[in-house]
Amino acid sequence: MKRHQKWVLAGAMILILVLAAAQGRRVRHLRESEAFYRWMLAAAVNERLFQDESGQFKDKELFDRCNAGSQSLAGLAPAVAAPNEPAKDAAPANGEVSQIGQASQEYKNDPRIWALAQSSELADVRASFLKMARTRQLRFAQDIQYAEAEQSGVGLFNLFFGFRKVAANFIWIQVDRYWHQGENYRMIALMKTCTALDPHFVEAYLIGSWHLAYNVTAKMMDTPWPQRKWESRYGACVGEKEKYYYVAINFLKDGIRNNPRNYKLYFDLGFAVYKQKLKDYQNAVKYLSEAIRQPHDRWVPRQLFICQELNGQYAEALAGWEDYSRRFAETQTGQEVAPRFIKRNQGHLLEQQSEQAFAASAAASDPAEKERFRQEGLKLRGQAKDIYTVLGSTEGDGLRMRIEATELAEQKRYMEAVALLDKARWESAELWDDLSHRIMRYKAEGNLPISLSEQKEMEREKDAGLCEGIPQQERQRVLERNAKRL
Amino acid sequence: MSIAIQTSKLTKVYEGSFRAQDVHALKELDLTINQGEIYGYLGPNGSGKTTTIKMMLGLLFPTSGTIEILGSSHVGSASVKRNIGYLPEGAYYPDFLKGEEILEYYGKLYGLGGKDLRRRMAETLELVGMTHARKRLLRGYSKGMRQRIGLAQALISDPAILILDEPTTGLDPIARKEIRDILANLRDKGKTLLISSHELLEVELICDRVGILFEGVLQAQGTLDELLQQRDVTVDVDGVDDAAVSKLAEKGLQVEDRVQSRAKLRVASAITAYEALELCRAFDLKLIGVAPRRETLEELFVRIVGAAQSTRRQ
Amino acid sequence: MGAFIDFFRGPWYIAVYTYREGIRKKTLIGFLILSLLVIFGASFISSYLDPTSETDIDLKLIKDICVATISIFGVLITIFISASVVPGEIENKVIYTILSKPVRRIQYLLGKFIGAQLIIIVNLLLMGVLFFAALYMRQGILPTLLLWSMLLTYFEFLIISAFTFAVSCASTSAVVPTIIGLFIYITGNLTEFLKDVQNRAGQSGKWFDDAIGWIANALYQVLPNLQNFSLKTQIINGQPNDPPTDVLIPNLMAYGTLYAVFGFLLAWVIFWRKEM
Repeated sequence: MKRHQKWVLAGAMILILVLAAAQGRRVRHLRESEAFYRWMLAAAVNERLFQDESGQFKDKELFDRCNAGSQSLAGLAPAVAAPNEPAKDAAPANGEVSQIGQASQEYKNDPRIWALAQSSELADVRASFLKMARTRQLRFAQDIQYAEAEQSGVGLFNLFFGFRKVAANFIWIQVDRYWHQGENYRMIALMKTCTALDPHFVEAYLIGSWHLAYNVTAKMMDTPWPQRKWESRYGACVGEKEKYYYVAINFLKDGIRNNPRNYKLYFDLGFAVYKQKLKDYQNAVKYLSEAIRQPHDRWVPRQLFICQELNGQYAEALAGWEDYSRRFAETQTGQEVAPRFIKRNQGHLLEQQSEQAFAASAAASDPAEKERFRQEGLKLRGQAKDIYTVLGSTEGDGLRMRIEATELAEQKRYMEAVALLDKARWESAELWDDLSHRIMRYKAEGNLPISLSEQKEMEREKDAGLCEGIPQQERQRVLERNAKRL
Repeated sequence: MSIAIQTSKLTKVYEGSFRAQDVHALKELDLTINQGEIYGYLGPNGSGKTTTIKMMLGLLFPTSGTIEILGSSHVGSASVKRNIGYLPEGAYYPDFLKGEEILEYYGKLYGLGGKDLRRRMAETLELVGMTHARKRLLRGYSKGMRQRIGLAQALISDPAILILDEPTTGLDPIARKEIRDILANLRDKGKTLLISSHELLEVELICDRVGILFEGVLQAQGTLDELLQQRDVTVDVDGVDDAAVSKLAEKGLQVEDRVQSRAKLRVASAITAYEALELCRAFDLKLIGVAPRRETLEELFVRIVGAAQSTRRQ
Repeated sequence: MGAFIDFFRGPWYIAVYTYREGIRKKTLIGFLILSLLVIFGASFISSYLDPTSETDIDLKLIKDICVATISIFGVLITIFISASVVPGEIENKVIYTILSKPVRRIQYLLGKFIGAQLIIIVNLLLMGVLFFAALYMRQGILPTLLLWSMLLTYFEFLIISAFTFAVSCASTSAVVPTIIGLFIYITGNLTEFLKDVQNRAGQSGKWFDDAIGWIANALYQVLPNLQNFSLKTQIINGQPNDPPTDVLIPNLMAYGTLYAVFGFLLAWVIFWRKEM
């Protein structure tokens, strides 16, 4: 009897242990799949947005294998087509975004990607992912959790007993201290340690990049273009100050790869750095468009529309504002702010169309055609002017005067046009640069004397964007852009 | 008379760890306890009394041999234990509890509940004289009170068999008397009691049968009448002096317990009581009384244990 | 059905009284007070940070520190309780009065184990409630993710508790099981390291190396890996790209339960024929 019981008990124990081990395998499979899933999202984001490749790592190779093996995602078209023009570096090297890349555009597809990550379909890719991650061959799976223990012994991961996040927090307190002591280089190194310990420490990316792009650079002067050097890592001409912008950008990009569903990171990248600091509206629009694809706060789209307007995408901005005012009709921004922007963008759009009509008129050979286009252009311009008049206040008046100045210039009344623009630029500060450029252009066209400061400005503008070591292709592009502006 | 507890060839060996020797705690023990009696289970420290009791309760497991309790050999099973109340030696009780809460807890473990349990609690508390302290925390109990509450928890389910390990240790004489009365009362109600003790006087006063254990071997077992030899007679006399003592001794009358002029004369088997009385008269001693002299349990114990010790030495 | 209820009645009473006794332990109350102090103190951690920056970073700090505090003190309480419920009764001989009652050993063990779990759960809840309140006061919304995190923490404790309990059944005092319990916690977190041992051992191709590697792998497959529960620190901040918790949490719960059952069976095997 007792003997019998003993065997039953032993059997039960073995059975439970086998079940527990099996469950352990399942949990391990899930955790490995989770790592794989996170890496896949990071690789997808990188492919779609950054095209940040490095020969040293094998992410791209593995990601291609994932795409080749993922039959279940076939036909999963992105719900929304990219609303903006592809930015200068938006098109991937092979010309199109892969299946997983497309699917990852919409956060609603995450369950599909997760299903893929843990499916048997990609079993061998997942196995090689783990192997490569452990041996640090993957750039986007540098999370020490997956890395093999260092040669010297136990890895960091093992030492913290799962309290890495707490360690990251305490390190962050030290980062904060370094910031107050002005130890920027130490701060940067420690910030990276912090995010290595906790790759999902979103606030660290946000505050860290804010320190870099704003606080560190606040006391520095803009580096004059001739003194900058081409930095291939950043794809830009940088000086001592500008370097920090790109460090901030890369820091945020790291954050985005690790947390591709957090809108704040996209927002800070697009708005705080690209728009506010680099005045690169193309990229600002690109990342803000990404931000609104993620679950976001209400104020995020507004910045996108503003950047679209600044980037000359009036139609998109207009549609966006109209949609916004419909959705948030009861809010103050919906009632007061949105209508102003709608008007302004309508004006911009009409103005743009009128210019297109005038250009068509100039290009047409048939006089009747020419005249028809010109009339249409005039009509559109009149409409734009009406809208600006209704808009009123400083911004509306500035824009209206800009049209009036254009009209005066067309009648060769350059002196009056310049005087009007000068008045307008003092009234509408945000148009200052644009109006100043126009003044210089009309002075040049009307053979009017230019001031010393304007001369200096023109000298500066000529080689703006050029620096030592800039590649030929890039140089050409900048020169064309400068020529167009002046 | 049916048998309550019976062991046959019960052997327990504690295996020594590493280089220590095995300890043979019990050697082929044959114990018989009848229903409705108080059985005194005696033996010096380390003789194996507690080992036997623990095996009866399934706390230890026999190396060989069997135990039958109320005809069942499933020792340690719930159905057997239901009939046993056990008071361990020197046990503590959860001392964050009040007296009555302890009883409630143990009563519930017996499967009692509701009105039944409350009635039993009141009865046992009354029985052990703890009704006044039922609401007090055990922490504040004296040793005697703890022992009483221990007895109460053993009695809570009104079991047929009571096993008490040193029930009167640490109690004052009055309390001992009370406990003794309680135990005797229980026997009268038909309970079987197994009392393990060093307190030979206590045992002698209430036990029906005793077993004497030494080094794991049952040296003697039987009723007190069977075991205690009723060999000789003592004569109490007054007016003894030193000269008389030596002369009496020559004649074969040994003087015991002499207090000044009073003495007890032990009549050796060589002479009869009549001859002794004659001698007393001859020495002109004042006769106080003549009594049969029965061996005390203590003497029996010392005799048996001493004999066993000397056999072992040889 | 009646027999089933009868079987669990005894364990339930034992559990309730174990709980009532355990909750009064001074050491336990000490741990609890310490952890409450840390949780409370964590609310002031943000004073170390730039007071002018308006960010959520202090919230994250509080969350992470509190989850870690609950883990550490919770583990101490778990180990302390699991290691002492049985040896404590052996030491003061209360166990004799209980095992001599019509209670089977498995029922006794079950009662003690459940009692220990009750103590652990109540302590966890106490810490959790304070943490919950601290977050609620700061954030103004109910931090429901915390509940999931606490649930996972408990299932982690369940494994540690069951194994410590098994060890304690082989012991007569609480000291050794407590130390072994801590050891279980530490090694349970280092299970991942066995994989590295296996990877490294197989490099020379010698039979001894291979054997070490094989053993390491076998242990890796069989031993519980407490790092699996690190999800509890991940989900607490509620990032939008958290892993799908609806898959992971039930699986981790099953994982914890299975190992706890194994640990309990182990305790039973040890206790089954234990001589008291």
